Amino acid sequence: MSPLALIFLIIGIPALIGLAYIFVRGSAGLRRYILTRIGLLIPMVFILASLVFFVMRVLPGDPVRSSLGPKGSAETVARMREQLGLDDPLIVQYGRFLGDIVTLDFGNSLTGGRRPIIDEMSERFPATLELVIPAAGLALLIGIVGGTLAAARRKRPFDYALRLYSVVIYSIPVFWLGLIFQLVFGVRLGWTPIAGRIDPVIATTLERTTNILWLDAIITGNWAALWSSLSHLVLPVVTLGLILSGVFLRLTRVNVIETLQMEYIGAARARGIRERIVVGSHALKNAIIPVITLLGLQVAILLAGAVLTETVFSWPGMGQYLVQRISSRDYTAVQSVITMFAMLVALISLAVDIVYSLVDPRVRY
Amino acid sequence: MKRWISVVAVLVLVLAACTGGTTEDTTATTAGDTTVPDTTEGDTTSTTAAETPDTTGAPAGEADGTIIIGTTDTIASLDPADAYAIHDWELLKNINEGLLRWRPGELELTTGLAEEMPEVSEDGLVYTVRMREGVQFSDGTELTAEMYAEQLNRLLTIGPDCPNGVANALATPFLESIEALDSSTLQFTLTRPVAYFPQLLATAAFLPAHPDTFPADECVTFPEAPVHGTGPWYITEYTQGEQTVLEPNPNYTGELQPQVDRIIIRYFSDPQTMALAVQNGDIDIAWRILGAELVSELEGAEGLTIGAIEGGSIRYLILNYAMEPMDDINVRKAVASAIDRDEIVDVVYGGQVEPLYSMVPPGFIGATEIFDEMYQSPDLDAARAYLAESGYDENNPLELELWYPPEHYGAATADWMQLIEQQLEATGVIDVTLQPQEWSTYVTALTGGEAYPGGVLGWFFDFPDSSNYLEPFVFNGGLGTMVTSPEGEPINDQAAQLVDLLNEASVEQDEDARAALYEEIQEIYADLVVTLPIYFETEHVVPRDGVSGSDEYASPETLNIGPNLEFYYSVLSEN
Repeated sequence: MSPLALIFLIIGIPALIGLAYIFVRGSAGLRRYILTRIGLLIPMVFILASLVFFVMRVLPGDPVRSSLGPKGSAETVARMREQLGLDDPLIVQYGRFLGDIVTLDFGNSLTGGRRPIIDEMSERFPATLELVIPAAGLALLIGIVGGTLAAARRKRPFDYALRLYSVVIYSIPVFWLGLIFQLVFGVRLGWTPIAGRIDPVIATTLERTTNILWLDAIITGNWAALWSSLSHLVLPVVTLGLILSGVFLRLTRVNVIETLQMEYIGAARARGIRERIVVGSHALKNAIIPVITLLGLQVAILLAGAVLTETVFSWPGMGQYLVQRISSRDYTAVQSVITMFAMLVALISLAVDIVYSLVDPRVRY
Repeated sequence: MKRWISVVAVLVLVLAACTGGTTEDTTATTAGDTTVPDTTEGDTTSTTAAETPDTTGAPAGEADGTIIIGTTDTIASLDPADAYAIHDWELLKNINEGLLRWRPGELELTTGLAEEMPEVSEDGLVYTVRMREGVQFSDGTELTAEMYAEQLNRLLTIGPDCPNGVANALATPFLESIEALDSSTLQFTLTRPVAYFPQLLATAAFLPAHPDTFPADECVTFPEAPVHGTGPWYITEYTQGEQTVLEPNPNYTGELQPQVDRIIIRYFSDPQTMALAVQNGDIDIAWRILGAELVSELEGAEGLTIGAIEGGSIRYLILNYAMEPMDDINVRKAVASAIDRDEIVDVVYGGQVEPLYSMVPPGFIGATEIFDEMYQSPDLDAARAYLAESGYDENNPLELELWYPPEHYGAATADWMQLIEQQLEATGVIDVTLQPQEWSTYVTALTGGEAYPGGVLGWFFDFPDSSNYLEPFVFNGGLGTMVTSPEGEPINDQAAQLVDLLNEASVEQDEDARAALYEEIQEIYADLVVTLPIYFETEHVVPRDGVSGSDEYASPETLNIGPNLEFYYSVLSEN
């Protein structure tokens, strides 16, 4: 089983069970809403995939020329174009592309050895997940904790410091922050490795199943590999997580401040409930709802941020792959990756909406 | 909470079941007297040998005898009938030995699997080579001449349709047939006499491929590991974008015996990160491609040595004969007269590259500095005079558009193109417009000869012979130079003369006569200004202290990497 399939199994089966549970136990309105959203997914993916297909072909440049460079003779270029079906009428190429999407096969890439795209994604996608999920977790953690504390200490130096942090961190370019971290924590202090996913020597001892290295290390009981993969995760995750934390921090702060001004909070205080519980439990529970919505919207930004983070830390994930394939005009690879990203964002957005309804009982569909 | 524990337990069981399946499918087979790892799991993320080394749990960098080499290159193909990139060739030449090869650090050919240099028939059309007896692949499979011939014939059969197109450049234009005369003799019949054919034989395209891995009817760009060969090493595992692991071939009996237990190639997407990694000790050697700026940064770093290799990679301006105003010889000569290469070398590269005054870099047969002799650039008066002949002056300046890819040849390209703009405009008669263009768009338009009057390109030889610095630009092999039409017709008498002389030089067996012919060709080439050479690059290799090359070969200070950039891992040792 390919790592990609395995990951979808791990994430997909619990997600499907959860969806089925919500579908059966939820209200008729929620069921209708879920069905509508799933129904809308199909035209959305179709429109986006079609857009990408035609935009890629409108762009100047040619996958064969890019891949052969100046050494490719006109004869070789012509032969390759014919082999890859690039000489076929656009409508034929488009039909082939749609067929590939429907079968989730995605076809073969046009450059880089013309491997099946599903295999290439299988290698890359787990690396991106390995980076993006903990980075999102870190961003949420810093954002929610920092935002709540800032709200609780409103207009005090701590609040000002965190507000300043949120603005500064959001405006710093990812690649610059990554480079500084590499220099300080990697080269100067020697605390962390500066690039890659795992120590190259230890990597030779690790048997890969999911290609999420720390998970594979746990499965196989390879503790040296676990330590190495986790230590390699530190800098890229912290870089990406910090960059995203600013938005969550500001949003949490604003919402907690608004919530703290509500009557039920005053009532809670009047009942003598300790301030820590008022803020951390009563206020935060309501204030966090917009933050969850934002998380869904941030998935796309997170994936975009991963592109630069992956480049700086030589992290062989989907972002790096996408950049390489765009520059070589690998139509099929770019179309497939963007279509997959779109499906992912749409599904996460759906999941967030469902969670939203569970967290906030006032929400009715 | 209990529910969550149950969910996690179920997931762990599912994962454990999947893991068990993979392990069972991974078997070891025995070939000859060598145990060979054989991975049968087709869709794993990396191609990995089943047998794991006994370094489990070893801390990073402390495993005995492992050297880690960093590079920003990537693997494009590991099939000898297809691979056509420097890094692919480097890997292939370490896991394979062909009939001939270059000595480490030099451009001198020596025998590999051949017992002696090839015998050439009187008409120069037939090359006969005897192989050493008892050559084996790393899995114990014996290599016979019949098997070798069958593998090489892939170049002529499936090679032209393989993605990277090496066969179209190095095999089909020259070879009529490849046959085995007996179990140890190979015979190559050429379509025309080619004096540099032994050089072609030393390229990666002519390496023996393992018949079980590379079938006769299919191009296999990314074979499953282990990838066996006849060279000093074999690939035990590789993961795209991460690393390639090589271990010594137990059946190798040649000269280049490995000195360490393992070589790991680690891939970086960013040269800056690679430079930090070598400083940090995460890798032992930083190899291609470190730019001049990064090399300057590393020069003061403790524990590192900078090895500079005057390689064969050149940069040049192409001048599009098919478009105005470059179709005017006076315009081309004016540009050739105005450019100051020394200023580019000093100001942009701080002396890290060398000015180039012929398309053939110094050290190659018949190389001259003809552009310097002919134009003595910068000579602004001469440039103005050429332009005046075509009616250009201060009131009617020449408008020139020059295109360049800002990222493909490094960020400094924009800097030296701006310098060229200033140098040309210093004549007072040329008005330059620079146009940066992303690589894919650029190369498509430029090599198609469609859109740009002038631009920048780079070239690295396929085999270290002067012919490979001249023929591709005259015969219009897709390089955007138009001195012959796509149908092969020369555009004028000088171009026709170039074609005749290059054909003559390619069959000339006498070295001195060949050198004389190439000198004559370069003179006509410079007078016609087919292209305009600017500089040739110095490649850098940066080993950490304790990693060294071999004193038995040339250039130990650059880990025995010579101008052909051939890097033999067998010369590496740890002190």
